[in-house]
Amino acid sequence: MNLEYSGEEKVAANPAAVWAFLQNPEKVGRCLPEVIDVTVQDQTHVDAVVQVAVGPVRGKFKLKLELSPDPSARRIDVKVSGGGFGSAVDLMAGADVIDAADGTTLLKWSGQAVARGPVAAVGGRVLEAQAKKLIGQTFTNVHQQLSA
Amino acid sequence: MSAELKHEGSLGVRMKRKEDPRFLQGKGRYVDDISLPNMLYMALVRSPYPHAEITSIDIGEAMKVPGVKAVITGKDLDAAGLGWLPTFHGLDKQMVLAVGKVLFQYQEVAAVFGENRGAAADGAEAVQVEYKPLPVVADPFMAKADKVILRPDRERKTNHIYHWEVGDRDSTARALASSPKRIKQRIWFQRCHPAPLEPCGCVAQFDTMGRLQFFVTSQAPHVYRTALAIVTGIPEDKIHVISPDIGGGFGNKVPVYPGYVCAIVGALKLARPVKWIETRTENLTSTGFARDYHMDVEIGATEEGRVTALRVATTADHGAFDAAADPTKYPAGMFGVVTGSYDFPVAHAEVDAYFTNKAPGGIAYRCSFRVTEASFAIERAMDILADELHMSGADLRRKNFIRKEQFPYPSPLGFTYDSGDYHKTLDTALEKIGYNDLLKEQAAKRARGELMGIGISTFTEVVGAGPSKHFDILGIKMFDSAEIRIHPTGAGIVRTGTKSQGQGHETTWAQIVAEELGLDPQNIMVEEGDTDTAPYGLGTYASRSTPVAGAAIAMAARRVREKARKVAAHLLEVGESDVEWKEYKFQVRGVPAKSVSMKEVAFAAYTNMAQNEPGLEATYYYDPPNMTFPNGTYVAVVDIDRETGESKVRKFLAVDDCGTIINPLIVEGQIHGGLTEGFAMAFMQEIQYDSEGNHLNTNFTDYLVPTSLETPHWETAKTVTPSPHHPIGAKGVGESPNVGSPAAFVNAVMDALSPLGVRHLDMPLTRDKVWRAIRDAEAGKKQS
Repeated sequence: MNLEYSGEEKVAANPAAVWAFLQNPEKVGRCLPEVIDVTVQDQTHVDAVVQVAVGPVRGKFKLKLELSPDPSARRIDVKVSGGGFGSAVDLMAGADVIDAADGTTLLKWSGQAVARGPVAAVGGRVLEAQAKKLIGQTFTNVHQQLSA
Repeated sequence: MSAELKHEGSLGVRMKRKEDPRFLQGKGRYVDDISLPNMLYMALVRSPYPHAEITSIDIGEAMKVPGVKAVITGKDLDAAGLGWLPTFHGLDKQMVLAVGKVLFQYQEVAAVFGENRGAAADGAEAVQVEYKPLPVVADPFMAKADKVILRPDRERKTNHIYHWEVGDRDSTARALASSPKRIKQRIWFQRCHPAPLEPCGCVAQFDTMGRLQFFVTSQAPHVYRTALAIVTGIPEDKIHVISPDIGGGFGNKVPVYPGYVCAIVGALKLARPVKWIETRTENLTSTGFARDYHMDVEIGATEEGRVTALRVATTADHGAFDAAADPTKYPAGMFGVVTGSYDFPVAHAEVDAYFTNKAPGGIAYRCSFRVTEASFAIERAMDILADELHMSGADLRRKNFIRKEQFPYPSPLGFTYDSGDYHKTLDTALEKIGYNDLLKEQAAKRARGELMGIGISTFTEVVGAGPSKHFDILGIKMFDSAEIRIHPTGAGIVRTGTKSQGQGHETTWAQIVAEELGLDPQNIMVEEGDTDTAPYGLGTYASRSTPVAGAAIAMAARRVREKARKVAAHLLEVGESDVEWKEYKFQVRGVPAKSVSMKEVAFAAYTNMAQNEPGLEATYYYDPPNMTFPNGTYVAVVDIDRETGESKVRKFLAVDDCGTIINPLIVEGQIHGGLTEGFAMAFMQEIQYDSEGNHLNTNFTDYLVPTSLETPHWETAKTVTPSPHHPIGAKGVGESPNVGSPAAFVNAVMDALSPLGVRHLDMPLTRDKVWRAIRDAEAGKKQS
């Protein structure tokens, strides 16, 4: 099941703070919704365990995150792959850090995900809406962490 | 009851099924009822990817799960020479556990053994497999391009598995080109699944002498024994296969699945019994599916509606392995029966099969090796031709039927049809359902804008595989067998190489023995499914039990009778040639008052046999001289709600000709069940994959099985033209309703939609599909 999504989040912090935050793998990992555990492998690699509930399919997903920051473009790409309970997810996301010129920052994000297995088959009817919600929640968490 | 049966015979008697009290009281014994001391449970790790390289498998966390005893992977099996197992027709092989890469979603990747089901499942969840996704080949048309080669393990580096053809290509092309009328239609018989209520499973254990005892949901226990000996290297005498009660098979329980091999390996490695029972999802996603044939059908005809030629070119989706359990010489099964009930002067059929990233299989679901798709193709195409000719489907069929005096009929695609009276069967059906009144009702409804359809299917199938000169599985000829022992008191036991999965063999086989020997069927025990006791046979599928094993039973009983005649001659104090078998007893020729019953002879065979060999038993291995050709006319009446697209099957009549009927009650039950499955395929069932190779019908909320609420009322009737070559004239019936009914349903819906100009829709005819067709047709009419 192919999913495409995009959106933007206004963050109450300046672009430098946002950019610094996004390059911290521990902090990025902690922004995943329902995150249970985060293990930083190195500056650009994180393992995370998250609780997933899509329709009747519920369980833990083990995810590997690979961060690819591009300072010159002020853009960060994230590759997420992993899965659990016989399901798999491969996700490519990117976010542009845009100066809103009022001391805040606009995070403009988009990406594509492919879900496979029971999470796509059984949870298929609600997966799209659920995925959008989870991705939106991730950036809301970024916003909240930076605003805190 | 018994006295009456003894005197009047046992064939054609509506005897209640002997096995039902056991089942109705919940006393059936299925594989999952078997619990052995110290038994472990197995769970399988399956791939979420339809096509991916396996980059690593980490079993470390799994081994830490409390209760987990072992994990095996494809590498372990490969190292032991068990990485692959041959598919039944011997033309391909299938991975047991994936090595290197996975080829379909839910493919078996690792096996985990735990102290209980929970531990095994938790262990399977903890196995960490890393995959590198590869491009997905989602259908056979993509596969044709060979841009991604799915099976580099094969010598031929192509996704094309085989090309098969039969008939006269050139003559058919010429006849089609010169025919004044011609139709061509792509007809897809969708991928569906037999979905037996009981999924597949097994219990494996090695005894102290190292002998394997293997309880398994198998429709063909002897073939399993031989296949396991070949795959595992265990000598065949050290393998004991037992198929206990089986909760439905429909062909799904013919193949040997990877889980079985893993359970045996686990039992050997851990020296403990191992049980494995599939989940519903595992059954729907990884075991033998059915159909997935894309058929381009062309018929030529004269202006008057006489058919001149048939050409069918099929593209088949076989999934990741060619695991269709067809007889070796028939990679496309019995698809050559696609000329159906009609006298085509020439015909040509060809099938090209392809690998895709889907589960393997392809011949299951109550179908004698591709007969259902063949029957559906010709019966749909005949209706399309009838529309083209502005004739009724009934008239077109009647005009082109093989006439009864043409039997035995050599079909242009190589079969010799044994017997039939198609005109009589059609006329019986039309009269019984009130066809002329239905036509009047339909005309009145059409005038009011209502959508009512009448669908006819006049199918012929080919079953009873099969004659040894043509048919084998893994090289083993497709005979079957029976062993009969009559005890001193006139009771007895019959053992066969078949295996009932709900067909009622315990009753039917007893009736054949009782008929042949003048005994009480209530006291004839039937035993199947135990390879230590039953004679070797090829099992139950493809409607072969009665045509082959039923014949073996009759022939074995006749051997018993011949032996009994000697004892009877002794009792009657006459020469053997003076004894005749008449009215279910031995009597002195010309002196009917001087007679002995089989029961008396049986007692004498153990107590007063004179110089004759003691005992009363015989075995027969039956090699059928030909296939049998059950046929029938099915009529469906459908009303369609124009606003919702819902099709309501208001009336359905099945007139079957399955030759001699042994037990009408069981035959009617078989027909009811098969019609319900045909109804499900026509309106509900499809195994769907998305473009990423995701299986979308992994449970019974997404893959629908009709309940009594949806199932129409079935009416049945019969005509009887016995098979001339079967000892009792029986042809088999188990698959006829599944073979013949989908076309009747679809023809009825298309007939209802024909005023709108809708020519063909592929199954399943769901509400939304029919509604869209109505909407589009109406929009088209408005535009024009």
